[in-house]
Amino acid sequence: MQSLSFFSLIPFLTLLVSFVVASTAPAADYHEQLNLKPLPQNSLLASFNFRSNTSLPEFEAHNFRFFPRSLGQILQHAGTRELHLRFSLGRWDAETWGARPWDGTKEGGTGVELWAWLEAESDGEADHKWLTLTNALSGLFCASLNFIDSTRTIRPVMSFRPEGDHPNTTMANMHLLHGVLPREVVCTENLTPFLKLLPCKGKAGVSSLLDGHKLFDASWQSMAIDVKPVCQAGEECVLQIEQTIDMVLDIERSKRPRANTLQTTSSLAHPPSHELKCNTTKPYHADDTCFPTDSLNAQEWTLNQIFGKPMLGNCPLTDPKTPPVCIQAPHSRDVFTSMGVEELKEPGNENQRCYLLPSNDEEFHLALPFMPRDGDRPKTDADEFVQPATPLLYAERSLTGHGQEHGGVQAILTNPSPDAEVEFVYMESLPWFMRIYLHTLKARISHRTGSDAGQTLRDDDDVVKEIYYRPFLDRQRGTQLEIRMKIPPGSTVFMAYDFEKTILRYTEYPPDANRGFDVAAAVITILPSNSTSTAGAAAAAGGKTARMSNLRTTGMLLNLPTPDFSMPYNVIIFTSTCIALAFGGLYNILVRRFVGRDEGPEVSLVKLRKRLQEGVQKFKERVQERLGAVGKGAKKVDGKSD
Amino acid sequence: MTKDKMSFQATAGTAGLFAVAAALRLLLFTAFPGLPSLLTGRVEISTPVTSFKRLQEGLFLYNHNVSPYDGGVYHQAPLLLPLFSLLPDPSTYPIFTYILYTLVDLLSANALYKIAESGEGGASRLYSSPRKEKRWSGYVVATLFLFNPFTIATCIGRPTSVFTTCAILHAVAKALSGNIFTSMLCLSFATYLSMYPLLLLPPMVTLAYDRTYNSKAPKSLAQLAVMCTLAVSASLALLFISSYALTGSWEFMSSTYGIQLTLTDLTPNAGLWWYFFTEMFDSFRSFFLGVFWLHLSSYTPALTIRLRQQPLAVITLLLGIFAIFKPYPSIADTSLFLSLVPCFRHVFPLLRYSFVTASVVLYGTFLGPAFYHLWIYAGSGNANFFYAITLVWSLGLSLLVSDLAFAVLRDEWEVERPEMRGKEIRQI
Repeated sequence: MQSLSFFSLIPFLTLLVSFVVASTAPAADYHEQLNLKPLPQNSLLASFNFRSNTSLPEFEAHNFRFFPRSLGQILQHAGTRELHLRFSLGRWDAETWGARPWDGTKEGGTGVELWAWLEAESDGEADHKWLTLTNALSGLFCASLNFIDSTRTIRPVMSFRPEGDHPNTTMANMHLLHGVLPREVVCTENLTPFLKLLPCKGKAGVSSLLDGHKLFDASWQSMAIDVKPVCQAGEECVLQIEQTIDMVLDIERSKRPRANTLQTTSSLAHPPSHELKCNTTKPYHADDTCFPTDSLNAQEWTLNQIFGKPMLGNCPLTDPKTPPVCIQAPHSRDVFTSMGVEELKEPGNENQRCYLLPSNDEEFHLALPFMPRDGDRPKTDADEFVQPATPLLYAERSLTGHGQEHGGVQAILTNPSPDAEVEFVYMESLPWFMRIYLHTLKARISHRTGSDAGQTLRDDDDVVKEIYYRPFLDRQRGTQLEIRMKIPPGSTVFMAYDFEKTILRYTEYPPDANRGFDVAAAVITILPSNSTSTAGAAAAAGGKTARMSNLRTTGMLLNLPTPDFSMPYNVIIFTSTCIALAFGGLYNILVRRFVGRDEGPEVSLVKLRKRLQEGVQKFKERVQERLGAVGKGAKKVDGKSD
Repeated sequence: MTKDKMSFQATAGTAGLFAVAAALRLLLFTAFPGLPSLLTGRVEISTPVTSFKRLQEGLFLYNHNVSPYDGGVYHQAPLLLPLFSLLPDPSTYPIFTYILYTLVDLLSANALYKIAESGEGGASRLYSSPRKEKRWSGYVVATLFLFNPFTIATCIGRPTSVFTTCAILHAVAKALSGNIFTSMLCLSFATYLSMYPLLLLPPMVTLAYDRTYNSKAPKSLAQLAVMCTLAVSASLALLFISSYALTGSWEFMSSTYGIQLTLTDLTPNAGLWWYFFTEMFDSFRSFFLGVFWLHLSSYTPALTIRLRQQPLAVITLLLGIFAIFKPYPSIADTSLFLSLVPCFRHVFPLLRYSFVTASVVLYGTFLGPAFYHLWIYAGSGNANFFYAITLVWSLGLSLLVSDLAFAVLRDEWEVERPEMRGKEIRQI
């Protein structure tokens, strides 16, 4: 009875809330959506997207609506017009998983990445505001963003464009600053403040699925916050905040019960042999050898299993007409949901299904059952998941060379497309202690197709179109390198340059100096293929250009030579002794007079030695005398005994 | 007539020597194409303020309209940039660079030949050694310089310190021949390139004074000193202004000379500074930088006053001290010092520790690269290995410097006390 009355209240409450929202602020709204996309090799991409906004005049009047007040006040205080913040972990396996979600625009390099457009009159003022912003965000997100100092901040020229709609008057005074913390370990303490910014705060709606244990156990995850002004024709401009979490879950791994994940490390490192999935076709396969299989079992999971908790109904603040959960899988894939859920199939999109939840607080369940690969109606991979799209560009980057003195960086960039060339900006933000030599930068190209297919690499000056380089200054700023390149279809470019490793002051090394220093990921911005104008011209034009896509390489671990941390005192003492010896020796020679060995006044030390020698001589004589006397006495005694 | 003939023979002799030395260098450059870049990367040869690789980077930035001084790589004098951009690109046509460096070495050897031939080492205006008959000709001294392994390695490694070496040797040679202004101009060049040669100004003034002394119309030393100082400041000012005109800003001052004063780049080298300031506590860094510079400059007045009678000896000893105690020393500085030592052939019998010094320097020469390899590449040693070798190296060289000072002073003393020749002495 009680439950009945409660449920009967829910629609009323929702109605009330939506009425209040609708009546007071037509511009303010809130959307949330979870997109599930099964990927090959037993992986699942889950994309959470939360979007809310408030109109700009109301924002200026401190009426924040769904816009998080804590963040809003920081933005106002630091004069931030557009903000992008990323927390990322892991590596997107482009070879298997294909193109990135959101075209890579909602992801960052490993660690924390922040870039923002600040409104300031001068560079100095922009730096000051940037300092304010990073320190405030550091407190808000429990991340070491305050360590983004001048050595980690750059001002990209070609790579980033404002995504929002800015009036031309502010565009002139906007400064783009970009900072990365590649070493920052993204963890639960960053998720909690992230969820707190949401109107439903993780208590209801799709955000109720988010759990630190699962999110940070993912093979790859990226949390993003984007704040930008959006103006649509005929409507009031709004300030939009978009929060995104993308994660790739290993289904087998996430299905393990919570207790199992907390097992001791030894049992995790050595699972029982019967649980290993081996490729039995390998000739060396035996009881004690195993080659892991690529194609694992067919996918079988429920929402509860992989996120560790159920989804607690709708967030009451969302637009009830937007389906909160969508899945991107072929329509031949069986999907079961809880009762009362309405399935929507878009007519244009064969592979998309969305689910509209009933307006009550019931838990939402979603299950993808096991689809047998044999039997009456055998299913194939094509029924399991949509074949991922090929990305526009593959990129990997690695360190070359050995020793702790010189090194090199090599980036391998492949254009997989058979017919379209790809133009992009490759940007690196390197620490100052990586002393790069730009004159050693070389781009070599190899074609997979065409007349010289498979031939050895050859130098090509035509690949690199434009370079923007701002060299490092010791302890003041890092290197900024932006290279605009164009790769012809079906070709691979090997770009390499040399650098030198610096020895630092011993206080500048982190506590575990021999682990090495993290170098931030290179950011690759693929320019829209239809834009023929140069990047500079496009940037100058400002405003919205055609959609760009991004990708990022992995970070690098740079080993620097280390001094001996245990002996500052010893070094100070040894060096000082060496200098004192040299100085003292020369000083003695310069200021003292020469005399013959037997001339001049006797030095007290010589006198003392003489006196000592005399004393010793006397003592010897005395002892000898005594001994002589005793010897005589003894002889006498002997004589007596005889 | 006979004099002419003799000088002609000498020229012919040096020409042969120079030809052999040049051929050896060019042979090494061409027969081992990997050798120049290998030696360029060696910390014993290339320092942050002289490295050829950094010069190439500076050139690259300069040619692409990026200020090389707005970065942390290039710390060398601005006028080197147009000089080297006149040459074809060293990576495609390296032969021009090789020829340039060989020529600079030969020019240095030529100056050294003149210095040795002047006989200033044994007999100056105020002092004539009783042993002055025993000396090496310019030919021998130039040979010792040109075939010194340190000089050859420096030439192949192509640091810009060879220009400083050349300028210093020419300053000395010109002062000896009485061309005071040319000498001061050379010294200004050396100062402009690496700053520390400014400390050679006082002995250079006394040397020039002694060589131009006219007993009939004696000028005062103070007058000449003022004149020389003015000449050096004027030519330095000219060089700085032309550098400013070239780069468009005064940034080069802090980047070229500031780094030597503040030691922001701690790349290992053969000297004592880098590890000391790596391990130094932050709060004491500036204090010790001051102490080290004060220590380095304190030798100039002391030696100039004490060895007033032998200005060339002062210059030699100072060069030895710079090779040990300057912020970024390399074996190029050592080879400059060692090249002037043979001018004092007459005091060699008075050296007390020649065997110890030679052993220690050889020990440092062979173990230095080995220990550096253990630290940086093999990973089986740590920074202390290389640091220990730099200590030994510095001690060996400082022993040579003080021993030479002792020998020169004893030689002076024996003029007063001819009967003490060969006898044991002590200092009080």
